[in-house]
Amino acid sequence: MLTTTPHLRTRRPSPTTVEYIVSTAPDLTLPLRALTIFTILLRLLTGLSVILLLYSKFLQSSYSLPLTPYSSPPPLLTTDYIFHIAYNVTTSSLGTIFGRLSSRIPALFLIPTAFGLLYALSLRLHTIESLLVLRGLGIQTSSSSSTYLSSSTTRFIPTEKIQDIFINEAFRGFEVRYYLVVVVEGEESVVVVFPRLLPRRAIVEKVWRGARGCLFEGVGEKQRAKEGDTAVGKG
Amino acid sequence: MPEHDGLMRIFWPVDIPKSESPGIIVGWRNSGLDVFVVAILEDVDAPSVENALKVGTIFRNASHPISRIFELCGQSYMHVLGLTNTPHVDIDNLQMHASTGPSLKIPQISCARASTIQIIMFDRPLPNRMQYISLSPIPLALGDKAEMSIHAPGSVDAEDEREEQENRKKTKALVEKLKLHSVIKHPASPKELALPRIVNQINCSWELHKLLQKNISLVGRRSRRSLSVSERVVESATTMRDFVIVAIWQLITLYIYPIVRRGFVIGLLCHRVAAEALLLVLEWRAKPEYAALKDISATAQQVEIRLQQFSYWPMQYVTLRKRKDDWESVTTSHPDYIRFYNSLWLVANDVIIGIALGSYIIDNSAWVAELISDILSMYSIAALQRTISWLMDWPAGLKLNTELAAFLGDLFLWVIDHWANCIEALRPVLPHIIWFIGFSSFAGASMPIALFSDMLSILTLHIYSFYMASARIFNWQYTILLSLFQLFRGKKHNVLRKRIDSCDYDLDQLLLGTILFTLLFFLLPTVVVFYLTFACSRMAIISLKAALDTLLACLNHFPLFALMLRIKDSQRLPGGIRFELRDTQHFSNSSTTAHSPPPTSYIYLKSVPLTFRAMFHQYFQLGHRIRKHYLSPRVLLCLATGKFVPPIHRKNLYSLQYSMLPARRAGIMDMWHALTSDEPKSAKSSGFDMKINGKRLNGNGRRHYGH
Repeated sequence: MLTTTPHLRTRRPSPTTVEYIVSTAPDLTLPLRALTIFTILLRLLTGLSVILLLYSKFLQSSYSLPLTPYSSPPPLLTTDYIFHIAYNVTTSSLGTIFGRLSSRIPALFLIPTAFGLLYALSLRLHTIESLLVLRGLGIQTSSSSSTYLSSSTTRFIPTEKIQDIFINEAFRGFEVRYYLVVVVEGEESVVVVFPRLLPRRAIVEKVWRGARGCLFEGVGEKQRAKEGDTAVGKG
Repeated sequence: MPEHDGLMRIFWPVDIPKSESPGIIVGWRNSGLDVFVVAILEDVDAPSVENALKVGTIFRNASHPISRIFELCGQSYMHVLGLTNTPHVDIDNLQMHASTGPSLKIPQISCARASTIQIIMFDRPLPNRMQYISLSPIPLALGDKAEMSIHAPGSVDAEDEREEQENRKKTKALVEKLKLHSVIKHPASPKELALPRIVNQINCSWELHKLLQKNISLVGRRSRRSLSVSERVVESATTMRDFVIVAIWQLITLYIYPIVRRGFVIGLLCHRVAAEALLLVLEWRAKPEYAALKDISATAQQVEIRLQQFSYWPMQYVTLRKRKDDWESVTTSHPDYIRFYNSLWLVANDVIIGIALGSYIIDNSAWVAELISDILSMYSIAALQRTISWLMDWPAGLKLNTELAAFLGDLFLWVIDHWANCIEALRPVLPHIIWFIGFSSFAGASMPIALFSDMLSILTLHIYSFYMASARIFNWQYTILLSLFQLFRGKKHNVLRKRIDSCDYDLDQLLLGTILFTLLFFLLPTVVVFYLTFACSRMAIISLKAALDTLLACLNHFPLFALMLRIKDSQRLPGGIRFELRDTQHFSNSSTTAHSPPPTSYIYLKSVPLTFRAMFHQYFQLGHRIRKHYLSPRVLLCLATGKFVPPIHRKNLYSLQYSMLPARRAGIMDMWHALTSDEPKSAKSSGFDMKINGKRLNGNGRRHYGH
């Protein structure tokens, strides 16, 4: 429900610049928005409780110094304040429940599970991949990373390095997939556009036509006349 | 005009000052409609700016020759590209109108000739902070070494090498095939070819902008009134103070500095000569294919690396000094800078850790020696003895051949006893050795590690020889068994044709062969258990040494400076560029200018910082090499058949460490020339300082005029 099949979005502010975005994110409606916010809150809550569990396990170990209460709340933006908060949280009723829970679970099991869970919480819901075509400059492929911790990877290929752009087919598991390929001059491996999503043939074909038309002067004019203003309207 | 599609491309610095007053846009015109904005000059008129650009008044008082910038940017002169905030002035139809202002985030541009516009906005990298952008990732390792490796023929590495070459050939053929895959050839347009130049223009734009803004007062203002009396008094007072300072400075630069400098150069050169002699000893080979000292010993290798670094530093420093004689926008020496300071920092770090380690070892030398000798006698002697006695006595219920086991076990035990006596004789000397190791660590923590690695190989020599001996015995037995098995089947191995032929043996041959085969087959388990024991202990030692070598590699090569830069200022480690398309709807709505602008796309150009993976690329390569060498099926086969598993060649292991050093070190005479030819240049630069001083005086004066 939160993700859809890969679909194409086109941004074309001027005829010589196009960005094709393939994403699994659905169009945001009001209930969907609420659901997304709810999932984010749930993730945050789970993440915080996992961290609290880990922290209370740490407090029970022999490596930690016992927390001492502060008579008056220390000023903000100091390390004392953090300890003050930590003391308050761990001594609250919720904190004691977590403490009891963490004392039950052996550390050998708790620590890997907690880190695995934290990693799972940092995974992105949607995958967004895009191809930016700039006439006179080149094309840029970008692909969002799988976690929130790292930024997206981009690759810019200048036009003079582009030998060809074409669609190829390959077996993947038990199916045949069509994918867009950029051949870069002087490189051993080709660059696959939309490598993680590998969208359907209709999308790939549309991107291929648009990219060739936009990238190379002269070819584009005829192409654009045919394609008309459907793409522009979407941008 | 070659452009028939009417696409105008404008490179626009984001951090250029925005104001609503009219101004003149000045910059490069790479080709007809491909322009690069450097600065917006205010309070001047276009013809005078044009004139100043032609005559060069606007480039006056540049700290370095301006032609260098022109050469970098690939243009012979700058242009007036258009006007800002003056919509009703008629201009040339290649020039543009732009409207900017503090409220407008991005400029709005129109041009008579353009049907569509790409505005590429960028943040100017600050050259004084050594920021720059580049199309390819910054190389952290020196790339002047061709991938060459010499292997003994027939060794595991040579086989690997051959396989790799075959693979490479295959991919090359595929790439050749791929080259045919070009359906339509497009001749590159001037816009496409301009990209490398544009990168340089972006790198230069900050300094150029500063220069233009500094000289803006020279444009179109000729009148200069003479100084008033009071101003002259102030002027002369400041000059008097500066004069005294300059005189003292000159005294120092003329008399004291050259002597100190000459002494330093001679000291460096003496050091270089000594280093050269030591390096020759370390690299000496009796025959070209024999191993040199540095290939055998980790200590020799470590000393060699340090000496090479010491002899490379002066050359590096001289190169870096030359940077000062050029514009700061020239980015060719920035990787050198990072390499130089990385290696300096690593050596300093090494020495600091070494001092801590060394003082600890020296203070506790008796205890450390005791510990080491205990560990040695426990693991390399007592544990081995116990294992061998266990093997002699039907280990784990396995009924081995008692006589053979007793023979082999006694043999090994006897050698171990002898070795234990040697170690015992060494025991009183051990504290001194430890003290020596501790003392050596004042030259860096890598020294004791290397020494310890060497000591480990010397003190476990007996295990190595046991491994060799048992592997030999096992291998013999294995090959004999194989050929007897062929005989058992009535076949034989044809050596000439390298195949199995059937063969008619006589009865006595068959009988004797079969008896021998049975005998050897039943003796095999006994030999195997001994072989396995020593092979395992040998592998343990090899992995321990590999761990020590990795530690050495970390101490010698860790990209500490690059990591620090990546966190502090990632712009200094460019790993390519990236474009971002910006939304434009709400901007086009707010347009209030008379002529509506053509369809415009706003694109942001950003520098991509170097990825951490690229930074540790060498380590990944090293890991890959080790894995390929020790975990390949061939090595496992060698282990299984009792063939000698060669340790990985040091050269392969240490390519990581040498990646910071040039393939061929500069000779003594080269260094002498580099250091002495620098001298007149430095004299010039001292004169240059004075010139700067003079210019500063000038600048003061000008400020007075302004009032």
